[in-house]
Amino acid sequence: MTQRTRLVSTSPTDLPPHLLTALAQRVTAFADDELVLGHRNSEWTGHAPILEEDIAIANVAQDEIGHAVLWYGVVNALTGEDPDKLAYFRTAEQFHSAQLADRPKGDWAFTMLRQFMFDAYEAELLPRLAQSTYTPVAEVATKIQREELFHLRHSQVWVVRLARGTDESRRRLLKALDSLWPLLSGLLEPLPGDSLLVEQGILPDSAELSEAVTHRIAVVLTDCGIAVPADAASSAAGSRSNRTDGVLAEMLAEMQGVARSDPEAESW
Amino acid sequence: MTSDGVPVAATTDTQWPRWEVFKQDSERKPHQAVGSVHAADAEHALLMARTVFARRPNAVSMWVAPADRIHSWTAEELAGLNVTPADLAGNGTRGSLGSHGSAAAASSAAPGANVRLASFLVVVKSSNRRSMTFGDVRIEVQGATPASALRSALARLGEEPVLAIWLVEAAAVVRSDPEVADPWFGPAVDKTYKQQSVYSSVATAKRDTERGMGR
Repeated sequence: MTQRTRLVSTSPTDLPPHLLTALAQRVTAFADDELVLGHRNSEWTGHAPILEEDIAIANVAQDEIGHAVLWYGVVNALTGEDPDKLAYFRTAEQFHSAQLADRPKGDWAFTMLRQFMFDAYEAELLPRLAQSTYTPVAEVATKIQREELFHLRHSQVWVVRLARGTDESRRRLLKALDSLWPLLSGLLEPLPGDSLLVEQGILPDSAELSEAVTHRIAVVLTDCGIAVPADAASSAAGSRSNRTDGVLAEMLAEMQGVARSDPEAESW
Repeated sequence: MTSDGVPVAATTDTQWPRWEVFKQDSERKPHQAVGSVHAADAEHALLMARTVFARRPNAVSMWVAPADRIHSWTAEELAGLNVTPADLAGNGTRGSLGSHGSAAAASSAAPGANVRLASFLVVVKSSNRRSMTFGDVRIEVQGATPASALRSALARLGEEPVLAIWLVEAAAVVRSDPEVADPWFGPAVDKTYKQQSVYSSVATAKRDTERGMGR
């Protein structure tokens, strides 16, 4: 553990401009991941395998979108940007979400494995962020991590049962893993300004976090007799800056359609 | 057969097993039967129970039990039994007593033998005026069979009104872990739970907006 003394910041006015800019971008990325994944999960509403899981996935979606609202609130305090404008009036190129979050929902195995990978990421990220020297970040992380722990329990139950279930369930899970594993590095990769924030104790160390997340996922998969692909760390796929394939743009066209049809609307 | 006479393949029930859910709203209240979920196994059932029944309203604990490990009687069935200790001794002459094929029921085949007592949670429905709960988990009784446990339960309940009674095989009950209660039940505490009627409908939206109550 690093024992350097770090200044605790409690409001945006405590931050020098270069840190403020880097932090706003990083927290926007946190929010964008939650919003985009929340929207993808919401696409299951009315279509999940059974009624109980339909309610469960809608709950998870609503939780993730709620977390996005909290993170956009932190951004709002930093930059003055309006959360609704950030969510509904940015283009795909302006989003910072990872590709892991924006892929189409696929089948239930794909959705549950993706959710498990994201939940494992948050299970490691949030306790570290709860120690952030920027207290608004620490407070949001503390608030949302207990919901994320329940998400993890749910998604992990599914990954294990799909892996140990039938030939078909295992085949579908393995197919999903082939698609999703290369995208993990994009979720974990640092943004350009992150190193400044790590130095100040605002963010946890990227490499250490990345290792912890990968280990957490690998333990569960290995326990189900699934070998974890070796080349994840070196993969450049799934980067937050890679917005060229149109997948997110197509999703946003759906998600933002109503808001953009009447930008001046005050109530709907 | 479909209505136009085309034969259809014999269907098998592809539903997952049904589990009854018992929710405790506070430490001072009993666990209450709130409804059921379908789930693949016990752990999954608890997750589904929390999702369906405890997202907003407060809860501190949840139990689930497979529906086929619950033995139930309505008031009419109890009256029809013309309950006497002899009737309820579980000697197998009454098919309606504990006829759910459970291990405990099966053991009734050997009255007086070296029987093992099983524990049952007793759920009593005592009112028709509740809409959100079916009944409360009231007491726990022992019995070699559901039938003999029912006799003990009714004796202990005395003159209390019983509109319906369930005996839940205690060995089949799966309980939420108090050690991890916070992620399960904590988030709901901070959230406002609104009944459906709080929200505007198409019919009431204009009036609510005029009153400054619109969304």
